[in-house]
Amino acid sequence: MKKWLVVIFGLVLSGLFVGCGEKEAENVAGEEQTEEKKELRLVTDAAYAPLEYMEGDEIVGFDIDFIKAVAEEAGYELEIEHVGWEPIFVEIEGGTADLAVSSISIRPDRQENYDFSYPYFLSTNKILVREGSDIKSAVDLKDKVVAVQNGTTGHLAAEQILGVDNPNLKKFDNNNFAIQELISGGADAVVADNAVVEEYVKNNPDQNLVIIEDPDAFEAEYYGILFQKGSPLVADFNKAIQTIFDNGVYTEIYMKWFGVEPDIEHLKSLQD
Amino acid sequence: MIRVEHLKKSFGNNEVLKDISVTIDRREVVVVIGPSGSGKSTFLRCLNRLEEVTSGHIYIDNVDITDPKVNINKIRAEVGMVFQHFNLFPHKTVLENIILSPIIVKKVPRKIAIEKAYDLLQKVGLKEKADDYPASLSGGQQQRVAIARALAMEPKVMLFDEPTSALDPEMVGEVLEVMKRLAKEGMTMVVVTHEMGFAREVGDRVLFMDQGFIIEENTPKELFENPQQERTKSFLSRIL
Amino acid sequence: MNFRIDLIIEYMPYFLRGTAYTIGISLLGILFGLILGLFIGLGKMIKNRFLSFPFTAYITFFRGTPLMLQILIIHFGVVRALLGETNGVFAGIMALSLNSAAYVAEIFRAGIQSLDKGQMEAARSLGMNYYQAMRHVILPQAFKRMIPPLGNEFIILLKDSAQISIIAVPELTYWARVFQGRFYKVWEPYLTAALIYLFLTVVLTFLLDRLEKRLKQE
Repeated sequence: MKKWLVVIFGLVLSGLFVGCGEKEAENVAGEEQTEEKKELRLVTDAAYAPLEYMEGDEIVGFDIDFIKAVAEEAGYELEIEHVGWEPIFVEIEGGTADLAVSSISIRPDRQENYDFSYPYFLSTNKILVREGSDIKSAVDLKDKVVAVQNGTTGHLAAEQILGVDNPNLKKFDNNNFAIQELISGGADAVVADNAVVEEYVKNNPDQNLVIIEDPDAFEAEYYGILFQKGSPLVADFNKAIQTIFDNGVYTEIYMKWFGVEPDIEHLKSLQD
Repeated sequence: MIRVEHLKKSFGNNEVLKDISVTIDRREVVVVIGPSGSGKSTFLRCLNRLEEVTSGHIYIDNVDITDPKVNINKIRAEVGMVFQHFNLFPHKTVLENIILSPIIVKKVPRKIAIEKAYDLLQKVGLKEKADDYPASLSGGQQQRVAIARALAMEPKVMLFDEPTSALDPEMVGEVLEVMKRLAKEGMTMVVVTHEMGFAREVGDRVLFMDQGFIIEENTPKELFENPQQERTKSFLSRIL
Repeated sequence: MNFRIDLIIEYMPYFLRGTAYTIGISLLGILFGLILGLFIGLGKMIKNRFLSFPFTAYITFFRGTPLMLQILIIHFGVVRALLGETNGVFAGIMALSLNSAAYVAEIFRAGIQSLDKGQMEAARSLGMNYYQAMRHVILPQAFKRMIPPLGNEFIILLKDSAQISIIAVPELTYWARVFQGRFYKVWEPYLTAALIYLFLTVVLTFLLDRLEKRLKQE
């Protein structure tokens, strides 16, 4: 029975990989030709303003400015592509993309299967509610309907409060849908990255939404660049991150997007 | 019983009936003949308003059926029609075909409708086929069922629209036989047909139509043996 | 690559719960789609162009726009306007019903118009009014002809119901995506969900074939 399943899956998979294989071959050829500036394929889920999102048909955001600076420092060229959240992990695991920047939290379970760069960003989950809501802290979420983006740290954080796969926890494709659900009355709260909720509230003051912080319930998270396990690129990029931390480029980018100074020393203290 | 006054019928710009006036008496059998495209089927279909007339009037028992206010369903229930292609309901058995309309239109109790249907099937010689579906019957048998179905409504007049044209030659006789018997019983009938033998034997009167007009009308004997109009003569010479 | 059958087994209760939702929502979707579709199909057959226009417009809209967008518009727009808040299951059933109604209407119209004109004439010549003729003569025959395309529409609807996972309706595809979000695995959840869909459509095809054969024998 098990064998039979493996054979079927194998057939399906091999069919899918034929397409991917061709692409890989191209990349390899490309690398050989341009010795000086290697082009890397970077994948992202550009639906996470202000860290990465689409402006017209261009992918922009803090993460994008950051990784461009790092790549330049490390001597690589980037081909950035928006593939959605879930395909990021497939592409990196399968080697069809070289690296991913997409507000990806460094977590032990992810570290089992992937490599991360040094942390480059501090984030924490926050709760977004409608004005006048009786939700004051994370524990108040227990009997509420909560909307999150599927597979994010916000999803996991909310799951810890509501219980695994509680039907009151609605998992959407992206945070915009989750926030829309909140505004429409289909959910009482959204749990998501501070950057996302703050950006949303800043841009939509007329929606009367309130941000609630609960540092006791939501641990701080650190974003890192995602690589395939054992990727030789990690060292180059770590070195480059260090450089832009020190030469002021990182601070400049951070100020441009968030208007405040980053706590670089704190991020550096986590490197080991 | 039927009085047609200055009946005209056009399909778009094509005038198919150009001023038809004729009277048909009770118990009379009128046979309509003519070349194809002469308007004879359209004329017949106007008599139960399957075609809406363009102008003119048709009175059945002094009721003007061309009046938009008239209840046409009531009129049609009293005017039976038999089609060239039978048009039996293929999803219903022979018996169900016959009792359907009496039950839902005339509200005849089912038991009585069934008794009546068996009588009619006996009359057309198909009593043993009551529970068969139309598809399993021959063309001649289907047409006899169609006649029984029309008779089940106890119509005052029966219209036949080329009832034998779609039949294999060996089946024509059985259908004509049923129609002859009906004529003998005194049914008022208007028959569009190419069967000249039937016209001669059963018809009280023959109408010859061509290009939307009634060119000539007379007893079958006179019309066939002594046609007055050139067009009648040339038509008869071609088919007899 | 290591294929984690153990995760699939662990997650099976959610797949099964999702499957129950998928079945329930699809059944309700096709049921309302049928009722509404018959009505719209009849409306489209009205000879007066002004009266039939709304029905024609309806069919054009729902066949001419992506189901995914219809789902989003109905969920965040229509249902919110109707109920004052969003309700994923309600919006999902509504979107699938409204969408399939457009296709059912066309199937219905084609089924009726494929019948010989003589059937209607024979019924009317026997004194039946339009509705009696429809009910006793035309529709029973048309339905028989509509069974294969309607069955096909049902299968399409069952598969299309996967799209309502985007508004977080906890059906089969939703749970497959949640699985992926939780374990960062792709093949396990999606192949499992695909096999369940395949099983449902194969069973459905089998049942529809039998229904068709039985109707043919009648």
